[in-house]
Amino acid sequence: MEVLYETLLLLSWKQVVMWVIGGLLIYLAISKEMEPTLLLPMGFGAILVNLPLSGAIEVIDILFDIGIEHGELFPLILFIGIGAMIDFEPLLTNPKLMFFGAAAQFGIFFTLCAASFFGFEINDAASIAIIGAADGPTSIFVAKALDSNYLAAIMVAAYSYMALVPIVQPPIIKLCTTKAERKIRMTYSGKTVSKRTKILFPIVITAIVGLVAPDAVALIGFLMFGNLIRECGVLNSLSETAQKVLANLITIFLGITIAARMTANEFLRVETGIIMGLGLVAFIVDTFGGVMLAKIMNLFLKNKINPMIGAAGISAFPMSARVVHKLGLEEDNQNFLLMHSIGVNVSGQVASVIAGGLILAFFS
Amino acid sequence: MDIKFQIPAADDFLTAALGITVVMATLALIAVFILLISKIIRIIEGKAKKAEADTKPAPAPAGVPMPSGMNNGEVDLIGVDEKTAAVIMAIVSQQSEIPLNRLSFKSIKLIDDGKKGGEA
Repeated sequence: MEVLYETLLLLSWKQVVMWVIGGLLIYLAISKEMEPTLLLPMGFGAILVNLPLSGAIEVIDILFDIGIEHGELFPLILFIGIGAMIDFEPLLTNPKLMFFGAAAQFGIFFTLCAASFFGFEINDAASIAIIGAADGPTSIFVAKALDSNYLAAIMVAAYSYMALVPIVQPPIIKLCTTKAERKIRMTYSGKTVSKRTKILFPIVITAIVGLVAPDAVALIGFLMFGNLIRECGVLNSLSETAQKVLANLITIFLGITIAARMTANEFLRVETGIIMGLGLVAFIVDTFGGVMLAKIMNLFLKNKINPMIGAAGISAFPMSARVVHKLGLEEDNQNFLLMHSIGVNVSGQVASVIAGGLILAFFS
Repeated sequence: MDIKFQIPAADDFLTAALGITVVMATLALIAVFILLISKIIRIIEGKAKKAEADTKPAPAPAGVPMPSGMNNGEVDLIGVDEKTAAVIMAIVSQQSEIPLNRLSFKSIKLIDDGKKGGEA
C-alpha cells in the first residue's frame, strides 16, 4: 500500500497527458488502422516510460542506445526490408516519373526556411524539415545524425503524418487540380524491363547517390541492398526474410524504442506543437510541389499526365500511390492510375533518401 | 527554447534552392542512366538472341502473325450474332489495352436467366 501511495505522489499531470497521447496513438492504430505497426508500439511505449519510477525506462534506453544512438542501426536495417519490398519496375519502364519524386521533396526545403523562421537552430530546423521526406527511417537517421534536440517529436510527427496521408493529401490534390485534370486517363504501356536492368539498377543508384551525397550512402546503400537481394533471383529465401521477418522484427523494436524519447518532460513542450505543425506544412507543400510539376509538364506534353500522380512523389509507400489511384477512380471509374502512381511513389522513396543525404551534407 | 520569429537568413533560402536543384539534377541523372542501361542491355540481349538464332537450324516456318486488327482462332457464338461478337471483342481489346491479335476468345454466350456468359 505504501508503494502505491509513493508512486501516486510522484505522478505528475504531464505524465497523465502522455498516457492520453499514448492511448490516442493506440486508438488510431487499432480503430483507424493508421500505421498500426508503429503507432501501437509507440503509444504503448509512451505509457510505459511515463509511469512513475518506471522500471522499463532503463531497458528501453538500452534499446535506444543500441538501435538508434549508435550508428542509427534500426532505421538502416529496416531499409533492407523496405528495399526488398519495393518493385522498381514501374519506374524503370518510365524513368521520367523520377522528376515527380524530386518535386515532391519541395516541402523539405520549404519547411527548412519555415523552421528557421520559428527560431529553431539550423540543425534542428534541418531535422524538422526532413519530416517532409515522409519516410520514417530517413527522418530518424537525419535527426539523430544532426543531433537534434527534438528527436521524439520529429519521429512522432513523421510517422503520424505518414499514417494520415489518406486524410492530408486528397483535399490538397483537389484544391490544386480541376475536375477535368483529375479525369485525365493515362495509358499503361505494359512494357517490361529485363532482369539485368533490375539487377543493375540498385548498384548504379548506389554509386550515383554515393558520388552526389556521400552522407546518404548508408541509407540508399541499405535500401538498394535489400532491392538487390529481391531482384537477383538466387536469394529468394533471404528476400522473403528481409521483407517479412526482418522488417517486422525491427519495426517492433523501433516503435517501442522511439518511446524512449517520449517522457513527459522531453515531449510536452511548446516546440512539439510547432514541430507537428511544421510537419503538416511539409506534407502539404510536398503534395503541392508534385502536382504543380505535373501541371507544368502538361503545358509541354502531347500525351497529358494526370497531375494527381505528382502527389504520389512523397515517399509514404505505398499509401500515397493508393490515395491517388482511389481519387482517380472517384472521378472516373475506368481511370486506373495505380501503376503510374506506384512508379512516382518509388521514385519519391529514392528522392527522399537523396534529399536526406543532402541535408546531412549541408548541415552535419 | 524561446520562440522568436526571425526572417530566415539568405543562406537558408540559398540552401533550400540549392538542395531542391541538386535533388532534381541527381534524379535526372539517374533517369538518363536508366534509359542508357535499358538500351544497352536491350541491344546486348538482342544481339545474343540473334547470334543464338543464327547458330540454330531454321525452325519450320511459323504462321504469319495476325494483323493487329484481327483475332486468332475460332470463337463459339451462342445466341450472339457475328456483328455483336465483333463489337464485344473490340471493346474487350480496347478496355484491356491488349491488341486483338494477342487475345484469344473461346466463346461468347448470351447471358440467359442469370447464367454467366463469355470467356476470353
